[in-house]
Amino acid sequence: MNEMSKNENLDIQIYNFAYLDENTKRMIRRALLKALCIPGYQVPFSSREMPMPYGWGTGGIQVTSACLIPKDILKVIDQGADDTTNAVSIRKFFQKTANVAVTEKTSDASLIQTRHRIPETKLKEKQILVYQVPIPEPLRFLEPRETETRKMHALSEYGLMYVKLYEDIAKHGHIETAYAYPVKTNGNYVTDPSPIPKFDNPKMNNSPAIQLFGAGREQRIYAIPPYTNVKSLDFEDYPFEAMKANFKCSICGSSDSYLDEIIVSDDGKRSYICSDTDYCKEQTKLNSKKED
Amino acid sequence: MENYPFSENSINSSIAFRSLVNATSYPGRTFQINKLNKPSVLSNAAATILITLCDNESNVYLSKEYNTDEVRNWLIFNTGAIISNKKNADFVIGTWKSLLPLNDFKIGVPEYPERSATLIIEETKYKKVKCNIDGPGIKNKLNIDLPNPELFIENNNLYPLGLDFYFTNDLEILSIPRSTKINIIKSEF
Repeated sequence: MNEMSKNENLDIQIYNFAYLDENTKRMIRRALLKALCIPGYQVPFSSREMPMPYGWGTGGIQVTSACLIPKDILKVIDQGADDTTNAVSIRKFFQKTANVAVTEKTSDASLIQTRHRIPETKLKEKQILVYQVPIPEPLRFLEPRETETRKMHALSEYGLMYVKLYEDIAKHGHIETAYAYPVKTNGNYVTDPSPIPKFDNPKMNNSPAIQLFGAGREQRIYAIPPYTNVKSLDFEDYPFEAMKANFKCSICGSSDSYLDEIIVSDDGKRSYICSDTDYCKEQTKLNSKKED
Repeated sequence: MENYPFSENSINSSIAFRSLVNATSYPGRTFQINKLNKPSVLSNAAATILITLCDNESNVYLSKEYNTDEVRNWLIFNTGAIISNKKNADFVIGTWKSLLPLNDFKIGVPEYPERSATLIIEETKYKKVKCNIDGPGIKNKLNIDLPNPELFIENNNLYPLGLDFYFTNDLEILSIPRSTKINIIKSEF
């Protein structure tokens, strides 16, 4: 047994460090290292049942569990927010099972688990960003057969994806895909960035941080190592554009961060606020300093 | 308990794995590994890789110097790993010279490129050639010394198939995954 057994908190004693057993961790760890060696390739792994339903980040949680060390400072976000149900419950889960320190500050965190956003604050070297991924296969909605999509990746046969983007343009005049916008990793594999808004796509490119992806139900792990070329698919005459709602945050006034639209009154009045709660707090602090 | 590789298995294997994640993510840079209980012939770094990653599904090839009773017993007792031949090995351990030629190791198949061998290269007494490396995980091109760089270039040409390398030296570990591009600066004649 580990240090945990010395802890008098009975809740902690009954779990192995960070919940998963050592054999499962070893299996996930092997998959993670191969994933880092083959950027953007989806490594199959035997995903475990976790004490939460699929769609709540069972893949992300397994990756985090395999990576966590006692010294880690953990941050968990759900759509950019630290205080939503999914983020709160996952954070508590690892406080209970791994006894790690937690934070809401992006710059203080050594490991960040995220659902559908990349923090606005620039990430640093050796920070680990763990994505929760619902559908890891970017070609799945175009080709339902796994045997076929696997072959398409093996042959770099991505014509179908370009046709899909082209049909967007033919129908709507522009590429309609606004989230889970497909990227090409290290010039080779077309990769699903998880359903982050396409506003976040450029942050994946050449990031100093380590990006790991876990899809629990679909049993896939993939990775984008630091300083890796990640290019959003586009056409010469229709270049990729990262976009967001053209407003300012009504709390901190920031115009460069990704905004959530909220309806604030019964007659449908709208307001926009930063999706990244930590960034919003930091900006508010900076503003009040300026006013002083 | 003193004879187990890690004193606190769960904690120390997590710390060891973090070093492996960092080494694999930032190829060409040296990362530190902690000491553990291991056979005398193995370096701490190489033993750490085996203990952290191997289980009863892992085929391990030991080159001649490492294929001793002590290493085999230690590995099988602590991990349940299978001692295998070159062709089926998931993990390979040996000195550079003893592992050549590299053609026998599995490089994966186009549908499953991850079904490839991970090579752990022990000791640094090989003929060194100055190289310049670039690729995923490398911010600005790095200069490092490699043995027979032409073999690493060949390996990179197979990408996304290929072998992944860890160089181990006592408490230090450095990785050259298949994604790393290698340029020879000058050969030493």
